[in-house]
Amino acid sequence: MRQSLSLGVSCPTLSSALLAVLLAPGPAVAANDPEIAEMRSMLNQMKAEYERRIAHLESRLAEAERESARSVQESKRASQRADDAVNLVRAESRPMTAPSTDPVAPSPAAGSGGVLGALSSGSAFNPQIAVILDGNYYHDGIEGAGSALVGAAYQPSRLAPHTHGEEATGEHEAHSHGAGENGFNFREAELSFTATVDPYFDAALFVAIDGDGEWELEEGWFQTRGLPYGLRMKGGKLLSDFGYINKQHPHQWDFVDQNLPYLNLLGAHGLQDTGVQLTWLPPLPFYTLLGAELAQGDQERFGAVVDGDQRALLADNAGFLDGENEGPRLWTAFAKIAPDLPERHALQFGASYARNNQHQEVHSHTHAAPAHDAHAGDDHDHDHDEIVHNNALAGYADIWGIDLVYKYDGDGAEGHRDFKFQTEYLRSTKDLSIRSSPHPEALGASSDFTSDGLYAQAVYGFAPKWTAGLRYDIFGMTNEVSGGPTDQDFGSSDRWTLDLTWNLSEFSRLRAQYARNDILVEPGERERFDAFYLQFLVSMGSHGAHTF
Amino acid sequence: MIGRLCAALSGLLTLAAVATAAPAVALEIVATAPSLGALAREIAGPGAQVTVLAGPQQDLHRLQAKPSMMRRLRDADLVVAIGAELEMGWLPVAIASAANPRIQPGRPGYFEAAAQVDLLDQGRSADRAQGDVHPVGNPHVDLDPVRMAAVGQALAGRLAQLDPAGADSYHARAQTFAAQVDARTVAWQAQLAEAPGAVLYHRDAIYLLERFGVPLLGTIEPVPGVPPTGRQLSALKTALAGRRGVILYVPYQSPQAPQALARDLGWPVVQLPLEPPADADGKGYLDHIGRWVAALASAR
Repeated sequence: MRQSLSLGVSCPTLSSALLAVLLAPGPAVAANDPEIAEMRSMLNQMKAEYERRIAHLESRLAEAERESARSVQESKRASQRADDAVNLVRAESRPMTAPSTDPVAPSPAAGSGGVLGALSSGSAFNPQIAVILDGNYYHDGIEGAGSALVGAAYQPSRLAPHTHGEEATGEHEAHSHGAGENGFNFREAELSFTATVDPYFDAALFVAIDGDGEWELEEGWFQTRGLPYGLRMKGGKLLSDFGYINKQHPHQWDFVDQNLPYLNLLGAHGLQDTGVQLTWLPPLPFYTLLGAELAQGDQERFGAVVDGDQRALLADNAGFLDGENEGPRLWTAFAKIAPDLPERHALQFGASYARNNQHQEVHSHTHAAPAHDAHAGDDHDHDHDEIVHNNALAGYADIWGIDLVYKYDGDGAEGHRDFKFQTEYLRSTKDLSIRSSPHPEALGASSDFTSDGLYAQAVYGFAPKWTAGLRYDIFGMTNEVSGGPTDQDFGSSDRWTLDLTWNLSEFSRLRAQYARNDILVEPGERERFDAFYLQFLVSMGSHGAHTF
Repeated sequence: MIGRLCAALSGLLTLAAVATAAPAVALEIVATAPSLGALAREIAGPGAQVTVLAGPQQDLHRLQAKPSMMRRLRDADLVVAIGAELEMGWLPVAIASAANPRIQPGRPGYFEAAAQVDLLDQGRSADRAQGDVHPVGNPHVDLDPVRMAAVGQALAGRLAQLDPAGADSYHARAQTFAAQVDARTVAWQAQLAEAPGAVLYHRDAIYLLERFGVPLLGTIEPVPGVPPTGRQLSALKTALAGRRGVILYVPYQSPQAPQALARDLGWPVVQLPLEPPADADGKGYLDHIGRWVAALASAR
């Protein structure tokens, strides 16, 4: 057993093995290893420490019988650790990251400070893995079109056509988050892997698999653990800390679907991008978090870039639409403030801003053929009654938001009397000018496209394991084009949602949700419908923590 | 502007992990549970500043991370947790969000009570059909005063590591606390020598029962984290009929089942917080144990 210590293994393993052996009872000073002088000095240091400990233990042994019993237990534990460590050495294998329950720092002081790590069964598996299954039964009164429609409320800034194949203005976002058909839907299986990489970084990976088996990378990032002065840095693909609900995964939502402002201004995924984030927790008397992000800017709604199919529509136009600029194109800044409230209360205010330096969209308009005679030189097809013209607009997009969250930790069992109120306001402005048009005189005309939205929701634990939620969300209180030749406000879409959630355990949840929708589909055209969800959420594997 | 930002970011990256545990004048200690706050006050003495994150009536396993916790953890030199996954729903994220390298698990600024003593209920199968099980062991070590004395000794060692100048004082205080525990344990042993046993709601007081040899007659929840059905309750009632005992539950557990069972069995029923008052010191902690002992002794 002891000879195996002289095998050529890496230093940390060996020294922790030595430390463990030294902590063990009996003639543990067996590391007569002549090869490593450095080890020897450490050994002597440890030996001295060990002898001091023995003396200390002996004095306590004399004190009380109980104390003695405990130190025997301690010795057993140490001996067990020694055996483990020696076995580790013998196997000449070394874990990628040592389980955190091992004696960690090979410093002489570690012995007197007790075990440094956290006891956790999760750390036996590195990374920690969890899988969340999210499915539902959905029914609405308009043949299942409603779940996509709530994310396609009319706004003057036209939605980029979705790459999943549907034509025109994104009325069908065949997407994993939210859009379902009448009947049964498997929304997604979310796989998460989280681990501490080394003393410098934590990392996480979130992958969603939708009902058709399509994989999608939700997040994949590393984050610093060792920066001083309250700083942290995060990099990779991540959900932005813009706003409050933006960085929550769908299973964390209090309702089955996302609220109208986020769905319509930021899209089904919210602000999810590849970039870096820096946050600072300054030493103020109350919690204040300041942060900024820099990201590539690949967005569906907030900073879209016209794709090849749409570009083809502009072939005969005057003017020129630039290609995709090089990144990073998107940046954000945010602040969160939380006053220090009594133990059961928590309150947080947030303010956020984001800008995407490039946003493009294509607007089509039609001309009746007879009225079109003025454009005699045009080579349009005069057999049709209507002629479709496509203008391409480009500019930048801004969005800002404020949020407020209040949580009350009720005194009842299993979430009974817990209460949570959450509200956010978002306002997006896109300053766009016409860059490509069949009408050369229109080139350069610019307009502001402004849309805003608000949601407010409350959830109350009315019985152990049961919560009821109420949400009101509205999109387009301002929903206008301004600054151009045709100022116009188009009106809003809104919705009331009620839900009932049964948290059977920490790992499973059933939810019923009813919503009354009033969605502006086109200017002057509304769709009013009821939508009903029954949702299941189950979680397998390590149960991780959720941030505030 | 972007270039400057990038330069600043990379500069910060190179600073990563250089921060070392260099305690200021007074050690700032953040305890998750009031019992550990009490222990930290006792061992660290008046020179340290101790704050407690959870109130005595709160369920440490179901607590959620709050921004104010992160603020307190930001400047902490030492976080004292119960550990063994009890606070796993909030403490890891609170520590990570606190951006304080000193208190990361594995660093001297992170101390878990459960990692310093031997645990009960260890090595059970990791099968959640058995409820919210934690194979590393039952984390509720803080209700056993003898284990807490041992935790106090380990805590003194840790404090000495963080603040070598105060080492003698920390060890002496730990010894004094251990002596106080010994003295009161003798009296409690006498008080509980004839205790017929107790029914708990959850296996959260088993360390106390085990310490004084008081039989655990049953738990109201059939498996951890799952409330009982009517049938399970009546089975428990049938099994316990004709025996003597007491029913104990804590404020965040449903009172209905314990109250009904006590009525049916003719037993006393006591609601007691698992944790001492938030501002308790060593004596406050021992008085709290005294209340649990008195409740166990009230069995009939």
